Formats: sequence, C-alpha cells, structure tokens
Amino acid sequence: MSIAVEARNLFKKYVTKKRLGLIRSVTEYVEALRGVSLNVRHGEVVGLLGPNGAGKTTTIKILSTLLLPDSGEAYVEGFDVVREADKVRERIGIMLTVEKGFYNRLTGRENLEYFGALYGIPPKILKDRIDKLLNLLELDKLGGSDRLFEEFSLGMKARLSLARALLKDPPVVFLDEPTLGLDPPSARKIRLLVKELAREGKAVLYTSHNMFEVEIVCDRIVMINKGRIVAEGSPEELKSRIPKVRALEVHLREAPNHIINTFKEMGLEVSQYSQSSEETYVLKILTKNPEEVVDDVVKVITSAGLDIVKFKLEEPTLEDVFIYFAGDSSG
Amino acid sequence: MGKTDFKQLVSVEMRFVYADVFRRKSLLLMLVLWPYMITGFVLIVGSAVGNPQAFASRVGVDPAPFFIVSSFILMSTFVVLDDIMWKPIFDEEVGTMPYIVSSPVNRLMYYIAIPLPRLTLSVVIGLTSVVPVLTLYWGFEGFITSALVLLLGIFSALTFSPLATSVAMATYTYSGESWRLMNVLRPLLMVLVGVYYPRWVMPIAMYVVTALIPPSNSVELIQRLLAGIATVERSLMLLGVATALAVAYLPLTKLSVLRWERSKLKEGVKV
Ligand SMILES: Nc1ncnc2c1ncn2[C@@H]1O[C@H](COP(=O)(O)OP(=O)(O)OP(=O)(O)O)[C@@H](O)[C@H]1O
Ligand SMILES: [Mg+2]
Repeated sequence: MSIAVEARNLFKKYVTKKRLGLIRSVTEYVEALRGVSLNVRHGEVVGLLGPNGAGKTTTIKILSTLLLPDSGEAYVEGFDVVREADKVRERIGIMLTVEKGFYNRLTGRENLEYFGALYGIPPKILKDRIDKLLNLLELDKLGGSDRLFEEFSLGMKARLSLARALLKDPPVVFLDEPTLGLDPPSARKIRLLVKELAREGKAVLYTSHNMFEVEIVCDRIVMINKGRIVAEGSPEELKSRIPKVRALEVHLREAPNHIINTFKEMGLEVSQYSQSSEETYVLKILTKNPEEVVDDVVKVITSAGLDIVKFKLEEPTLEDVFIYFAGDSSG
Repeated sequence: MGKTDFKQLVSVEMRFVYADVFRRKSLLLMLVLWPYMITGFVLIVGSAVGNPQAFASRVGVDPAPFFIVSSFILMSTFVVLDDIMWKPIFDEEVGTMPYIVSSPVNRLMYYIAIPLPRLTLSVVIGLTSVVPVLTLYWGFEGFITSALVLLLGIFSALTFSPLATSVAMATYTYSGESWRLMNVLRPLLMVLVGVYYPRWVMPIAMYVVTALIPPSNSVELIQRLLAGIATVERSLMLLGVATALAVAYLPLTKLSVLRWERSKLKEGVKV
C-alpha cells in the first residue's frame, strides 16, 4: 500500500488576544500541536483518536489546506499542503462537521451541485455522481434530494456532508468526527461506508473520541493527546503493547465518588466509573500488578463503608489503553 | 477534472442568489422601490434648497430622470461591491467557508461570478424604474436612452468588479471580515464615482483621479447621454478607458484574493 498522507513533526500554536479593557489586552497561546507525525496509506482507515482539545481538528485542518502549520511538513499524494495547496485541494474530500456547511435555502441536490461546480466537476458527470451518492447514502429515500437543507435532520445533514466529501471521488478523505451526535442508524451507515471507501483503495483519516467507534471502523489507530501522538498501532497491537496492565473491576452498591481521590493518592489510575444497568457502580482501576494492590483497594472500599457486589480482573479495553497512554504523556 | 467551468459557476451562483431573493419578498420590494425612494428624497431636499429649473439649466437634464438614472447606476454598480463583501461573511457564518477555501476553484472566476446573479436583478429594477420614467419624460427617444442606460449599468458593474474585489479583499486582509472599514470606503467611492452631479463639473485633477475608478467613466457617458452631449468619439473613449482599467486591475484582484485567503490560513479557516 502506498502512502497517501504524511505529516512530519507538525507544530501549531494558536495566538489569541483577550481584551481586558478598552486598550489593555493579553495575548494567549494555545499549543495545539506539539510535533505530530502520522501517515495514512491507500486502502486504510486511520483513526485519529483523542479527547476534546487534543488537536484532532487542528491536524485535519492543516492536512486539508485550511490552516498553516508553524513548522513541520505534510504531504497529500506527494504534494506539500502549504506550497502545493492547489494540487492537494484537487485530491481531497473533507467533512468537518455533521451539522453545518451547506446553504439552507438550497435542496440537498442543489447544494451538491454548488460544490460540484467549485470542485470543477463537469455538469454531466456531476449529475450522475450526485444521483449515485444520494442513493448510496439513502438521502433519496429519506427525501433529502429535493428538500431544503434547513429542513434536514442531523442524520441527513451528516449524510449530505459525506456525500460532498466524496463528490469528486477523491483518493484521500478527511473526516472529522463524522458520527458525532448521530442516531445509531445514521452512524452505522456512515461507518459502513467509510470501511467500503478503504476497500476501494482510498486513504481515510477519521477522527473520533469514541474508542468503540475507531475500534470497529479503523485499521490503524493513532492516539493523540495534548498535541502529541501518544501511541499508534492496530487496535489489537495497542492492547498488546501494555500486556502487564490489567483492569481491576469493582462493582459497588453505592457511588464511590468520595474515595476516587484516595486511589489517585495511592498512585492508581482510575480509568472510569459508571453506573451500570442493575443499579451498581463500576469502578475500574488500571494496574500493572493487580495482586499487590487488591488488598489495598478492598481495604479502602470497605473502610469507606461501601459494599462490593462483584470483583473482576479484566483485559484492558481500548479505552483503558487510551487512558494509560494519555496518563503517560501528560506527566 | 479540477478545471473551473465559468458557466457552471455562474449558474449555481444564480440559483443560490435567487433561492434567497424569492423567499424574501420584502427584499425584492425594497430593490424595486429603492430608485424611486432616493429620487423622491433628493427632489424633496433639492427643492427645499434650490429650484428644479436651476438644476435643469445647470446640468442640462431635469432632476427627476437624472436622479432616477443615477440611483439605478449607483445601485447596479455597488451591488458588486456589496455582494463580494457579503459572501465571505455569510459563508463564514453558515460554515461553508472551509469547503470553498479547500476547493480548487479558480479564485478569479469565482469572485467575478459572485455578483453576476444580482446584476440580472438590477436589470429588472431598471425595467421598473429607468424605463418608465425616461419614456414618460422623453417618449420613444427616452425609451431608447433607457435601454442604453440599462446596458451601461451592467457595463459599469462588470468593469467595477475587479477593483471592487481588490478593495474588498484588501480591507478584509487588513481588518478582518467586517463592514467597519467599508462603511467609510463605500460612501467615499460613491462620491468619487460622481453619480449625483455631472462629472464634467469636477476640478480637472479630481476628474483624472476618479476616472481611475472604471464605473465613473460609464457614469459620465450616461450623464452625457442624458444631457444630449455625447459624441461618438467621447463615448468610445470612455468605454475603452473603463474596459482597459478593468482588465488592468485583474492581476491585482487575483493577488488580493490570494493574500486574503493566506491571511485566513494563519489562524485557520473557521469551521
Ligand atoms: N482558532 C483557535 N484559536 C485558539 N485556540 C484554538 C483554536 N482552535 C483550536 N484551539 C485550541 O487548540 C486546541 C486543539 O483544538 P482542536 O480543535 O484541534 O482539538 P480537537 O481534538 O479537535 O477537540 P474536539 O474533540 O473538541 O473537537 C484546543 O485547546 C483548542 O481550544
Ligand atoms: Mg475537533
């Protein structure tokens, strides 16, 4: 598989001026990217996975020629995203949000025709292409072809946005959280389609903060946190990279809020806790040596007067892996 | 693929504008009434400070047809500037901007295409204002003159487009996407173009400088037509100068669009 997208050591610092009064203002800097390198090959979906503010959108913007990096380089299909932006623009399809980016007063089809003209797709080819995409994304069935964009549901908007990204049949596709907020049918439709794109040989960069999602959609995952790549590999590889870490799962009758800090003070990584369906709370603790900490954990819980319902030692999930790596990099 | 098709661009832009205009009937009504309102206003204010006969003898045209034509020309010409100013602000607001910037569309063709749909609307407005008024005043000859005025209104707008885009994009590069600076520049440009007084009464230095704004030449030609003092040589010269200037400004137009886009890329195009 040949390399379609390559980013090398990208740095980006946002400068914002915050007004304090009429004249006084302070300049604030946000280091959004601190040396991001990644690549995407033709025929694969790479998931750029990270929490809010990690730098996912910033990376996508640089790669799609919408933002200049402070330093570092990036190439799409061998073309420099800064110096050969025109060449890059002819070869990418982008989807930056699910809900915006179209004209309200035009129908789904008219919107696609508008952007098709900007992309320089000859009218005849464009018409066929639009028909095909409306059908593929089931927008025709949903009545989106000839209805005004302002009347679209969120799922329809997302589908139209993906249709636009695919309009010129680009070899490279950038999708920034394409299923954010969608209902399961729309989200599933988009995920299936994305996998199909890779099978056709396209290179797809797919951002998300949803572990479950990238695990099923992506062939390879690049984890980003605070502007740095913290880990990279296939979902299986990533899990196996931290073989020593196990997840200690404790099911409790009451909410364990007040003892979470105690665990943190003990140097334990509390990965998550959630209320599970049958009214129990699940506390997950990541540890390299579960045998040694088990006693302490039980002691803390019982001395806080909480009842343990169940106790399990689990393989880490991708989410655990992420928290493990992210914790590593933030220190 | 990737080659911009100008005709296609104009047609989609046309649909975009008309979808908006026809859903906002008040806007349409406003456009139709505007030349009459301005004329009415000028006549009322004018007759308060001087009498219409004095105007007619100085300018060589009755004030009513003069001002209805002036208002029409002003409107059809400045629609270009307004459209070009408005579109990026709108695109930023609705979130279409990143898809435009990341497209390989030929920037020059795109910005030339943007004001064209509304220009067709100007023709409609000319038909409801200039044509009936001039016909009423001067009969068949007035009708012919009004047809020339419509054509010159379009010509004026087209030749203004490269300079208007350059000015709009330069102010956006300098002060961000807002009307603040343009609120000063726009009236200034209107005065310089010389719509509301005969261009030939200007001091010579000012006449030459303002002639660098292409539509001022069309304005002068129209004023001469109305006053019945347009010679063929003078007319051709005015048309020629306007065309030559418009073409000469094209490289500047492209440069200013690219500069503006580049300036946006520093902070990133807003999603
Ligand atoms: N235009 C901007 N000006 C200033 N700071 C910005 C700008 N855009 C992003 N940032 C900051 O840069 C950091 C990275 O932002 P980015 O949007 O790339 O994150 P993200 O991974 O896409 O997050 P999310 O999941 O919330 O979309 C954040 O701290 C954000 O607040
Ligand atoms: Mg984001």
